[in-house]
Amino acid sequence: MTVATDIARPRRSLSFGAGALLLGLCFAAACAAPFVLNGYGLYVLTLTGVFALVALGLNLLTGYAGQISLCHAAFFGVGAYATAILTQKAGVPYLLSILAGALFTAAVGAIVAVPAMRLRSLYLAIATLGFGVVLQKIIFEWRSLTNGGGGLALSPPAIAGYELGASGLYFLTLAFVMLGLWGAWNVSRGRTGRALLIVKESEIAAGALGIPAARFKVIAFAISAFYAAVGGGLFAYLVRYIHPENFSVGLSIAFLSMVVIGGLGTIGGSIVGAAFYVIIPELLRGIKDAPGLVFGLLLVIVMVLMPQGLWGLVRRLGRRT
Amino acid sequence: MIANLIVGGLAAGCLYAMVGIAIVIVLNITDIANFAQGEMAMVTTFFAYWLLDSVGLTWWEAVPIAIFFGLVQGIVIQQVVIRPLIGSPVLSAIIATLGLNIVLNSVAGLIWGHQTYTFPSPFAFSAPFMIGTVPISVDSVVNITAGLAIVIAMTCFLRFTWIGLGLRAASQNPTVARMMGVSISRSSAIAWGLGGLVGGISGILVAPSLFLDTNLMGALLIKAFAGGVLGGLHSLIGVFLGCLALGVAENLVGAYVSPAFGEAITFIIIIAVLVVRPEGVFGRVRVRKV
Repeated sequence: MTVATDIARPRRSLSFGAGALLLGLCFAAACAAPFVLNGYGLYVLTLTGVFALVALGLNLLTGYAGQISLCHAAFFGVGAYATAILTQKAGVPYLLSILAGALFTAAVGAIVAVPAMRLRSLYLAIATLGFGVVLQKIIFEWRSLTNGGGGLALSPPAIAGYELGASGLYFLTLAFVMLGLWGAWNVSRGRTGRALLIVKESEIAAGALGIPAARFKVIAFAISAFYAAVGGGLFAYLVRYIHPENFSVGLSIAFLSMVVIGGLGTIGGSIVGAAFYVIIPELLRGIKDAPGLVFGLLLVIVMVLMPQGLWGLVRRLGRRT
Repeated sequence: MIANLIVGGLAAGCLYAMVGIAIVIVLNITDIANFAQGEMAMVTTFFAYWLLDSVGLTWWEAVPIAIFFGLVQGIVIQQVVIRPLIGSPVLSAIIATLGLNIVLNSVAGLIWGHQTYTFPSPFAFSAPFMIGTVPISVDSVVNITAGLAIVIAMTCFLRFTWIGLGLRAASQNPTVARMMGVSISRSSAIAWGLGGLVGGISGILVAPSLFLDTNLMGALLIKAFAGGVLGGLHSLIGVFLGCLALGVAENLVGAYVSPAFGEAITFIIIIAVLVVRPEGVFGRVRVRKV
């Protein structure tokens, strides 16, 4: 456990100018994408954005606060269902229901955090996994509200009477990702972020400094669940058909993998990790018989060569230019 | 009725326990939760099947060779994937084992396809034991006996041999252990070899109760982790009993409380236990220096 101490320290290796340039280029490319890509490509890119939001939130929890969660797929699902139900059944405007769904899920996240406060490492992983199973089961069995195993089919989303097409939803996702980046940046560099880092290093030291570890764990879980739920609200209308099976443990493990591949405790890493996890399997789909084999090998190779994640590579390239 | 349920639960629980023990051996010495453990065991079991079916060995010849294969497999994987990651964040190594899990699953799929096979067992057609009116299948008895034997053998190995003491030293304090001449890298290799060996045994014993296919271990792996956590991951016997308890709890909850919420309630029980005993029922709270 002593080895994990030096990964989340904020290091500024990119100069401000280079960083701003890189960010600007990425943003310009992201804005141009809908005019270049076909429908399928746009779908993949939107999905990347959705998962990036979840990864951003999870990275605050795992990378900064050092708490493993295997129930983020369930938070994602609760957000998706809450948004869908509010929009379809209660007629709440789409943006408002995303927000309401996310606030509700943040409350669920805070509740999950309470028993999680005493647990660490694998014990925490299994407890959160248990919560994930329970939440997924509740979604499945609450048939009057969620239609259970039948799934929910959704009509296209609309904002202020204007129906969002594929590119509309893409730009909405992009806006949320930018907001999410800004939020995560602020949280991580502010008082909360520093408190989370010390909670990760040593709860006893945090206590000695007057930082209540328990409260910050609850805050981290709530923020993280909020991010996941916003992602869920976008996801529901991206795929337009949600089913409880979408939100199983496998997806939680995938979210955790995105964060680790991208780089624990790095904001940009969350985006890179999500892109890796969504785009590479899509590119490999053409290879006969072996997409799983190649993807698994890539996962192992990336981890063995870059245990600190892909973001370290991006940073190194940025430093060289 | 209730006796039947308990016996059925024990039978399922000992399948979890077999995988759980293999996971815990690696976990305790290297801190790495090996998500590839199930697939390693699956590959070993397929290797045993290949020896039986294509090479034509008998069960008693094929199984020791396959278990040795499991040992070698564990060491090779440790050398190639895990050794470079010693000193890196533990989560990186865990995600690497996740990748390995996908790789092994795909490789097995490419070699053996995705159909199901029936793995033979020398105990398959023996008449079940009767305790009162409750029949207990010979497979379950063999599995529980084998599980207990492994727990006892591993405990003795870790307590009374030089290599075992070295492994424990390496897990408790790598820096001091290294100063005392214990090679961390070699300890890790031994742990992975042992994990592969025990995993191989578990696959071969589990396969006759299920069907042999590439997803043989998928369902067992998470349950094994859950049972291990329930019992306490730092105690081999705790993991064993935790897995058995999990199997029994699942069966009883499913039958008496709610079939639909069976799994969910089982997890609620686990969470409740963890709230009271954060390191599992048999776990000791590790005192950490600041």
